Amino acid sequence: MAKVPLFPIGRAREAFLDGASFERNRTALGALDATLAERRAKIAAGWGAEYAERVHKKGKLTARERIELLKDADSRVFEVLAFVNHGRKFGKLESPAAGVVTAYVRVGGRWTMVIANDNTVASGSWWPLSPEKIERAQQMALRLRLPVIYLVDCSGLYLPEQSATFPARTGAGHIFKMNSLLSAAGVPQIAGVFGDCIAGGGYMPIISDRVYMTEQAYMVIAGAALIKGAKSLHLSSLDIGGPEVHVHQSACADVRVPDDETAIAMIRAEIERLPSSGAAYYRHGAQPAAPQQPNHELAGLFPTDHRMTYDADEVLARLVDRSLFWEFCPERGREMVVGVGRVNGLYMGLVANRQGVIDDPEHKGKKKPCGILYKEGIAKLAAFSRACNDDGIPLVWLQDISGFDIGVEAERLGLLGYGSSLIYSNSTNSVPMFTVLLRKASGAGYYALAGLPYEPVVQLSTVLARQSVMEGRTLAIAAYNTKLDDDFEILTQDPKERAEIEAGMRDTEARIEGDMSPYKSAAQMDTDELVSPLELRAWLELFAEASYQSIGYRRIKNPRIWSLHDAAALWEARG
Amino acid sequence: MFRRLLIANRGEVAVRVARACRDLGISPVGVASESDLGARWLGCMDDVVCLGPSASRESYLKMERVVQAALQQGCAALHPGWGFLSENPRFAALCEQHGVMFVGPPSSAMEVMGRKAPAKAAMRAAGVPVIPGSVGLLASVDEAVACARETGYPVILKADAGGGGRGMRKCFDEAQLRAAFVQASAEAESAFGSGALYLEKYLEGGRHIEVQVMADRFGACVHLGERECSVQRNHQKLVEESPSPVLDAPTRARIGGIAVRAAQSIGYVGAGTVEFLRADDGAIYFMEMNTRLQVEHGVSELVAGLDLVHLQLRVAANSRLAISQEDVKLSGSAVEVRINAEDPANGFRPSPGTLAAFDFPLDRGPGAIRVDTHMQAGDSVSPHYDSLIAKVIAHAPTRESAIETLLACLRHARVEGVATTLPLHLAVLDSREFRAGTYDTRSIPGWPASAR
Repeated sequence: MAKVPLFPIGRAREAFLDGASFERNRTALGALDATLAERRAKIAAGWGAEYAERVHKKGKLTARERIELLKDADSRVFEVLAFVNHGRKFGKLESPAAGVVTAYVRVGGRWTMVIANDNTVASGSWWPLSPEKIERAQQMALRLRLPVIYLVDCSGLYLPEQSATFPARTGAGHIFKMNSLLSAAGVPQIAGVFGDCIAGGGYMPIISDRVYMTEQAYMVIAGAALIKGAKSLHLSSLDIGGPEVHVHQSACADVRVPDDETAIAMIRAEIERLPSSGAAYYRHGAQPAAPQQPNHELAGLFPTDHRMTYDADEVLARLVDRSLFWEFCPERGREMVVGVGRVNGLYMGLVANRQGVIDDPEHKGKKKPCGILYKEGIAKLAAFSRACNDDGIPLVWLQDISGFDIGVEAERLGLLGYGSSLIYSNSTNSVPMFTVLLRKASGAGYYALAGLPYEPVVQLSTVLARQSVMEGRTLAIAAYNTKLDDDFEILTQDPKERAEIEAGMRDTEARIEGDMSPYKSAAQMDTDELVSPLELRAWLELFAEASYQSIGYRRIKNPRIWSLHDAAALWEARG
Repeated sequence: MFRRLLIANRGEVAVRVARACRDLGISPVGVASESDLGARWLGCMDDVVCLGPSASRESYLKMERVVQAALQQGCAALHPGWGFLSENPRFAALCEQHGVMFVGPPSSAMEVMGRKAPAKAAMRAAGVPVIPGSVGLLASVDEAVACARETGYPVILKADAGGGGRGMRKCFDEAQLRAAFVQASAEAESAFGSGALYLEKYLEGGRHIEVQVMADRFGACVHLGERECSVQRNHQKLVEESPSPVLDAPTRARIGGIAVRAAQSIGYVGAGTVEFLRADDGAIYFMEMNTRLQVEHGVSELVAGLDLVHLQLRVAANSRLAISQEDVKLSGSAVEVRINAEDPANGFRPSPGTLAAFDFPLDRGPGAIRVDTHMQAGDSVSPHYDSLIAKVIAHAPTRESAIETLLACLRHARVEGVATTLPLHLAVLDSREFRAGTYDTRSIPGWPASAR
């Protein structure tokens, strides 16, 4: 029987978590969420109200105002890479969001990727990592075949930092290669040109299928300042490269509009001419439905101390439609819970690390800790990943993992090999994959569960996330190994030496802890966005809708003939 | 048409659905808790599956077991009856997921009508008149006060997750409202798990008028006239009749049209009932929609000459509704009483036991009598479930003769072994207010307030 056997999962919160712990977790998370909101607001303000005023005085809108006008009224904007360059200074200056807003925006019922230069930050110019950020957003759109909308208002490279943005393989030039690849893949690209678009900024819109220019917009390879004789002829950049030239003479742009608002309206109309979303078809008759166990309870499920446990099944219950789930191969590899659920009626594969302890399958009667990968768990993940790829079921990897099992038995069982099989599958999958770093994301575990190096379409980190090759304490132990005994206690009895070693280990641990901060990770583009656990459901809905919107470029098997059914038939206990 | 169907219910409704199945050549499969196993009325089923212990939440409400029973018994469809899982959207979705056709509306329609606030919002959007009050839930006591000022006192605060009359507070002025808001929210939080409140104009009394609708999967929908259910005790209906003595023909047509529009606007499928409040000044307001077949459906069946369960089954099998509104001819008058095994002389305490005699004469006239029951003499009334043991419905050309027919039957009925609400029904039917049709929800006609 090739049915998709979703069954109820999850219990009422009171059944597994007492009120006091719930409140404690919720309060702690509330503080982290408040910090997140504060920092987001600061980034959204660009270089501040004064700069926004300057933009308004010219009769223009800021980048974020353009996005507000562009989006469907009842939808939320999902910004990615907002924290790039967070905390980084260039001389005295900062570049909030690296001077460009990249976000999933719903327009006419279709998800699009919007790339909008922030004209309140150095006239929308490109800083170190701005090109990489734009390219990452373009890559997301290419992977999902989502239309890209460029809201161009870009004066080119921020020149004092040009050596870090011009020449590299991922420098500004690569943006135009991505434009080309998107076009070659048949992904619609539409550009609105709103202001000074110089050099790189001038090139940005040209490969797009439709280019709209406002009366204030100009596109030039070089501005009037660099043109000999421009001063004496009183030629401005607008004279050289405005709509008069590009719409009517050079045909480098298509349509001329009076202002920002009109440009946005026409871009909306353009998107509405595109094919409608395939998601309605791939719901297979189901309607979108909220999880049965209240999603907002996620706020109180996660202890902020990463060593304390929670029930991963209860997290899944609060993320999938109606809290209905098909756990794939539940008896094996119990350190992982994997299976299929619906999100807004669309099938998704989900993977999560159990926490706490489970029975050791190799040694009857013994237990072993979760948050670690063992042979069966790794094998289950690899089989599930391959099946979902075969079946075209988008995968969501929810990470809270310390790493692989280590030691004599782990090596003898060949975890290096099993892990590599999983890595191979994830590396060669074509189905969209999305990764969420819930809390711990350490070492080989971070890699095995499709961390960023394996190029998921999007990687999110919650405010609780900690990314590193190993935990701070473990690293300190590794660094000071020669000074420690079999139980990792300090060997020397000399009090002065002991104090030195203790201080050294503490410093090492502290530095690693600092490196693990999700804000640092996001600033360096080691993760795509920071979110609260309370936002996870909304993001999963985006991932689902965006994965099924464009069709024909990847396989989507109907559920009757999923490989998952074959695997389940072989792994299920007999009669 | 389905070959086999699981009836996920018990007692009178299970027997009713089984009968309809037989009419259409469908094999009915029943379910039973441990205490219901062996009940004589289960003999109408071709097979019976035991679901678990007596307590409903350990048997009849166990979603996975019910679906499992349907699959094991090879049932292509499932009828939930009323109560139990009949209005549980997750259960409906689970049935669909496992390839069992749920005889009822889509889970999305159940969800919209399942809570007061979204139901009101949907109705407002469809142009259906709703009781004036807050738009959606109240975010704060100040919002409540502002809303009350606009709506006009007296107002009533209601819990969004409440029902059956619980979690409501009448407020006659702002001071009362401010005090009540905090209390009502806290009570609702602890009783229903949600402290969300909304506010409505408080309309005292009024008449409870509900319209039976039937819709197919293709958007067609008809109404089968209204039922008046204003004779209630503690929000439980005692006597139902069709047509309502207080509606004239134009109003009947109008309210029927509103009900059809309401159902179509939410994509409703199957049998449903749209409940209205008719205020003392004649204004009609949407109250709620019951997204299931109802206990009193037989009243409409007699007046319309149609079998609602047959229609439910056909619609579930993706047939188009064979009748249009013009085809629905309402004739005569029908009155129903619900015979509960409760003792009116003892605060209506449930009265389980064995029926020594159980007979309702069908031939006392002048009109026709229909008795819907699962019981007969010798059967025991279970203490574990609701106390309804029979519905007795009279149908005659006029309201007066329908009442006479029902009285004649009940006066000569023999029910022995358990206490029942028979004396209450006799008093109501014989009372001046009931005969005149001038009763409302404020009091039980013919039954003194002190005796409730």
